[in-house]
Amino acid sequence: MSSIFFLIQQTMFFSIPLLVVALGGMFSERSGIVNIALEGIMIMGAFASIFVINGLQDFIQGQGLLLIAILVALASGMVFSLLHAYASVNMRANQVISGTALNMFAPAFATFIARTVQGVKEIGFTNTFRIESVPMLGKIPLLGPMFFQNTYITTFIGIIILVAAWFTLFKTRFGLRLRSCGENPQAADSVGINVSKIRYAGVLISGALAGLGGLIFVVPTSTSFNATVSGYGFLALAVLIFGQWNPKRIFLSAFFFGLMKTISATYSGIPFLQDLSISKDIYKMIPYIATLIVLAISSRNSQAPKAVGVPYDKGTR
Amino acid sequence: MKKLGFIVLLIIIMIPSVFATAEREAASGYEVAMITDIGDIDDKSFNQGTWEGVEKFAMDNDLTHKYYKPTEKTTDAYVAAIDLAIQGGAKIIVTPGFLFEPAIFRAQDLYPDTSFILIDGFPQDGTYTEFRIESNVYSIFYAEQESGFLAGYAAVKDGYTKLGFMGGMAVPAVVRFGYGFVQGAEYAAQEMGIDAVILKYTYTGNFDATPENQALAASWFGGGTEVIFAAGGKVGNSVMAAAEANNGKVIGVDVDQSAESTSVISSAMKQLGISVYLGLEEYYAGNFKGGVSEVLDVTVDAVGLPMGNSKFNSFSQADYDEIFNMLVNDTAGVKSGIIGDGGMGGPDSAEALPVEIVSVTVVQ
Repeated sequence: MSSIFFLIQQTMFFSIPLLVVALGGMFSERSGIVNIALEGIMIMGAFASIFVINGLQDFIQGQGLLLIAILVALASGMVFSLLHAYASVNMRANQVISGTALNMFAPAFATFIARTVQGVKEIGFTNTFRIESVPMLGKIPLLGPMFFQNTYITTFIGIIILVAAWFTLFKTRFGLRLRSCGENPQAADSVGINVSKIRYAGVLISGALAGLGGLIFVVPTSTSFNATVSGYGFLALAVLIFGQWNPKRIFLSAFFFGLMKTISATYSGIPFLQDLSISKDIYKMIPYIATLIVLAISSRNSQAPKAVGVPYDKGTR
Repeated sequence: MKKLGFIVLLIIIMIPSVFATAEREAASGYEVAMITDIGDIDDKSFNQGTWEGVEKFAMDNDLTHKYYKPTEKTTDAYVAAIDLAIQGGAKIIVTPGFLFEPAIFRAQDLYPDTSFILIDGFPQDGTYTEFRIESNVYSIFYAEQESGFLAGYAAVKDGYTKLGFMGGMAVPAVVRFGYGFVQGAEYAAQEMGIDAVILKYTYTGNFDATPENQALAASWFGGGTEVIFAAGGKVGNSVMAAAEANNGKVIGVDVDQSAESTSVISSAMKQLGISVYLGLEEYYAGNFKGGVSEVLDVTVDAVGLPMGNSKFNSFSQADYDEIFNMLVNDTAGVKSGIIGDGGMGGPDSAEALPVEIVSVTVVQ
């Protein structure tokens, strides 16, 4: 039983950053802007927030510091994504190229600033954020060890963001406008919606969430930040497409990816997986084969926003 | 408004570069040069260790020094970086890593007036068919297996019987660390009369801190592994993160990593800085070991554990000195009995090492 709890706990470390970043990507793409800069924004968010943790950890520790870091990550991701929004909305630049530029810029910037300020590229931090067991909830049989032990406050924030994202997208006026700008901005404009504003909002939300995702990614994974998030920004893009730009499906696909990756990474330490006498190679292949199969079944009705990637031109109304 | 923003941005960009150029203008050429391998100059591991040696020697002797980063990880790019260093006035160039073997093979003929210190490698043509070392190249190897041996020995002596080894890529130096670790554990187990030592053994295939590496280490700790020897650059940071969350212990690699995490109980070191320093000293004293390839081991204090910063329960400095001296004197053939790696006549897999008490499970 403890192996199952362990699997679920580890899955969270993979899934929550993917979920948050993919939800960010969803807001941008639903407004009509392709955002492949998620990787770069994650790096910026992680860089700024880990830098703040590094500077403040002598004065405060624990959840208070993590909350400050979360705010910094949100803000820095948002500021960085402004560049993408400006290029894609105001300058009507090719969104893929603008995103690529940000992806190339972010690690170089993080390395440069870290070296200028502290001499080395690597920014160390002490992890004082882990929650051994959530008071009360951690004691619930079965569910306690699964979701409320060996966890981080960011896991719950991720779930809250999921619910909020679903609500915003489908139950609010803003959500309707956002979706309309991604489907048919000409029509949206004709009924008085400011397409530029909505698209700015979409990109900024995606920047904030991707920045936060960067922080959530680094904290449980390492003891230092080294100007990389190991391609998880791109994986989040895959989760977004896999999740058909829909919060519920993004949630499912993030957990699917997370669980598959966890199994392939940890089978050697889990007795019942070893006892199955399945070849080691199979475990290594699991994430890829499972993805292929699920994509083959589910990709028939792709639901990408129709106007995604097309700069809005009033003249085409 | 736009103009103002642009000017502010320009100033922000230029401030650090002004400082940087001020430093550089001090000299016109750079006598002592280093070319970096995969990873950066501040990797807290291989490159940094080498650079510290270069820097210290240059500072002590008031020499100009500089490092160059190849544009990509190819032999051509390495040779281009060497060329750049020579254009920049380099008389002696330090190149860390076995990836430089083919580059030095070419450079030793192209630049006969320049001297090279090649660490962890012997010049070869890139296909391992022709090996040749000229009088302007000094090649240094380390006996990583002895460092790993000491780490494995200390861990078992300290009471740990469930061990793990997580290497980065299976490059020769990493393999030697791993093999030595297994044999050190075996030696201690025989000495103490322990029945069984379990050892999980893997190469992660990268040198990065990733959730995969963290999850793997966490699963080992969760499954009972007490201490993991992490020999793979940043892989170690993921193992430390997993150790902190699961009450595990970590043995670091290359340099003393005790400052990186409270979970680090010791580090299997190789004294990159010191040997680079000595190599440079010999060059400037006029007795450069050109054409020589040597393996630096315990006898010259080139490998070992930092006992001052180690957090063992019972394994003491005296215990360490005893085993260390046994290695130095090769008492009862301990040192010569350690199998290095596949290329040195050893087996291809750690499972095939001749150990009895330690049971090795290789995880792919």
